[in-house]
Amino acid sequence: MVIEQYTITNKYNFPQPNIDTILPQRFLEQSINSLNQVQHPLQLNHTTTPQFSTFNQNQSNLQIKQTPITLKPNRQETIIAAIDTSTIKIGETTKGIITAVRGATTWLQNHTYKYTRLGPFIFHITEDNKKELYNTLERSYFSKTFGSYNQINPTLLQMPTRISNLLERWLQTMLTKTIKNGVLLFDGSLTAGTPETPTVRLNEILSNARKNCSTVLAFSKATTLRSNGILITEQLPKYDPPYLLETEWIKPNSQMRLLGDVYVARLNRSNFAFRLDIDREIESTERIDAVNKLLGNDLYTQSYPETLRLSHILCTFTANEVLAIKHFINRKHGIQIINRPDMHRLLFGSFGFRGEAYA
Amino acid sequence: MKLYKKEGNILQVISFPTENVEKGDYLLVEDLEAAKALIAQVIDVQFAAVPGVLEELLRTLPDGGEPIQGEDIDLMEIAPHITYIQDASLLVCKIRATFENEMLSPSSSWLPSRSQSIIKKLSTPMLMKLARIEGNLPIIIGGTKDTSLLTIDASAIDGTLNIITGKKGCGKSHLSKLLMVNLVGYKATVVIFDLNGEYSSLGMTSDGKRNIYHDKIHTLTPSQNFKVALDQLPLNTVMGILVNALHLPGTSAREFRRLWKSLKERGKLNMQELGEAIRDLNCNQHVRDALASRFHSFVNSGFFTDCIGEATLLDETFFKAKDQGGAIVINLKNTSNIDRQIVVEYVLGKLVDSLSNWKLRAVFLFAEEAHLYLKETYWDDIVTRMRHYGIFTTFITNQPDTIQETIYRQADNIFLFNFTNEHDLDVVSRAARVDAETVRSIARDLPPHHCLTLGKVVSDFPIVAKVRRLDVKTMGETRLFFTNHKAQSCN
Repeated sequence: MVIEQYTITNKYNFPQPNIDTILPQRFLEQSINSLNQVQHPLQLNHTTTPQFSTFNQNQSNLQIKQTPITLKPNRQETIIAAIDTSTIKIGETTKGIITAVRGATTWLQNHTYKYTRLGPFIFHITEDNKKELYNTLERSYFSKTFGSYNQINPTLLQMPTRISNLLERWLQTMLTKTIKNGVLLFDGSLTAGTPETPTVRLNEILSNARKNCSTVLAFSKATTLRSNGILITEQLPKYDPPYLLETEWIKPNSQMRLLGDVYVARLNRSNFAFRLDIDREIESTERIDAVNKLLGNDLYTQSYPETLRLSHILCTFTANEVLAIKHFINRKHGIQIINRPDMHRLLFGSFGFRGEAYA
Repeated sequence: MKLYKKEGNILQVISFPTENVEKGDYLLVEDLEAAKALIAQVIDVQFAAVPGVLEELLRTLPDGGEPIQGEDIDLMEIAPHITYIQDASLLVCKIRATFENEMLSPSSSWLPSRSQSIIKKLSTPMLMKLARIEGNLPIIIGGTKDTSLLTIDASAIDGTLNIITGKKGCGKSHLSKLLMVNLVGYKATVVIFDLNGEYSSLGMTSDGKRNIYHDKIHTLTPSQNFKVALDQLPLNTVMGILVNALHLPGTSAREFRRLWKSLKERGKLNMQELGEAIRDLNCNQHVRDALASRFHSFVNSGFFTDCIGEATLLDETFFKAKDQGGAIVINLKNTSNIDRQIVVEYVLGKLVDSLSNWKLRAVFLFAEEAHLYLKETYWDDIVTRMRHYGIFTTFITNQPDTIQETIYRQADNIFLFNFTNEHDLDVVSRAARVDAETVRSIARDLPPHHCLTLGKVVSDFPIVAKVRRLDVKTMGETRLFFTNHKAQSCN
């Protein structure tokens, strides 16, 4: 263990203090542990796979109410806060994958955007350590584990998303505990009952928010929800924005639970609309008021809240950062970057393209 | 450092912030397997095209141009690695030579291994050792960036054409003084056309005491301690003055030649007789007027005298300088344009005469702002023809376009100070021993008193040095109005 060489910064720049730092500490410990398990010789392939931000992909049937709910910006000063996390595969080793995870919280207060970024944390995930790694992280913050690892055994490639999701839920918990009378923007939907998001955990997050008189609005950048076979975000009535469209008769599959009501939000004249999930335990008028406060306080070019956009931008890994992470693991852990031959190219020459399609 | 690209004789090297490489530095790109190395000079330092840098910069400025406030909780301390990668630089280098079997060759035709090559900085002393720049007659030009000295060999200036150029106030005259006193120190004969009267005090230290050069500096001020009698002048020299300096037309020149010979035969070659002879000359009115106006120029210059006692024998001064070395400073300060041309023409004629008769072995001629006292075409003649007599010229100018391109092409050494003007840099880069990229890139960023030395003296390895101080009384400083004003205010 070489944990001594790293120190935890004992402060966290949320609006309020008393924040638990156990999870970041466990992230750090597990990260170093996993990297130290790497044995030489070791190679990383040169390519990096696209990074993921979690978004909802469940399919359901539903109906859209064609009468829009008109929105009117409410300029009452309200804290708007948003969370997003991101993960990227740095490379492959002979035993597993190396991945990086980072989270960002952005908030708008007194017309100024501020942020806190947590990470990146780098993990070497192998078949041998993935179970222990995940369970340790889960145990470290959430008082009890939900056996999510054991429920569905994730593949190596699913692990980065799982870890990222864990970090995201933890950040959401922190935010819901600290912000009062605010509007909290989550990336994705309020779907629970999935391996990475147990219902109890999401319920706890929403409950915390309600206790602090905050409203959670979850925006999905992309949705697969359809009504009459057409994506719900592509059935916009000829009506002046901003408005919300209500949906009903959602029938998720037996394991999944929707903890929010689903709306289609078109916030300005740009031709974009997004799926918006709002905590269903909140009164209808409060829900609309929360969206009105969002409109009155935040920017929403392209119909998407700026605070959430910043969160996404801030946690996304740039190519420069990927290079830096490779440099870090090389310097600190002696992991050499060696180009693994691309079998497609090797066997098929110029026909051996991957991921590049000619339409 | 890592080798990235080679195109022609340009190398591109990736360097990281800790490696601290700057323009002008030399790199040794060593391929151990091939048992040879490239010597390359950094001519430009750029940011490496690191992917994702633009996104990195953009996301720090999304809030109306103001940096977004925030905190990074970077427990693994990745941030230093990000800035390390972000600040990586691309060194554009010019290949100067290949080092193989302890020998240097100007070749750049081979390709060192990209993955195996070891790249390190080459210190100036090591470079000078490899290039055998130092010789038996060292002249210390100044200090290089790595605190070593740039020392050239005086014999590398022998028989060469040199140009010292740079914008105003960057130290050109200072370098020419340094070269001059060192040449005098090696017993060379030096002639200086001193336009601003700043070389006459070279024999004094900065605190006004005599220095070791005191007895070797001979200052001649026209019409004061430097006058000539017509009788001492060879006809060719006078004709040179009339034709080149005073632009006497051919017909009049022929008439003057006849007149001169007549007076010489009669032993009446003096100013008074010459004036009367022109007045009484029975010839075309225009010819007589032309000769009369030139005669008046002679008279007005005060440079010619009928009193043999007043006349200075330039030959004698040359003789003094010949054995022990010396500098003959022709002080052209307070001398009118026409008079300057007369004096310069006389001195050059006399020099050619002395050299062709082997009264002198060779002369180093320093010409400041040469265009102000001689036609460009004439300098071309001096450079090409008089070099064979043993006149080795050093031009000092802040207007490089006043020197003809043919002169640049023949220049053996160029001492280049800062220039920012593209046009000036274009002109200088026409020199045969210089590559345009080096001149444009390095000269533009030279700090004051730093000189890029190019050519034979540095074995064609351009080296930047800060010209060392010289303990002589400076006279070339620009007189300022506000210096006194400030001093008075302080009092």
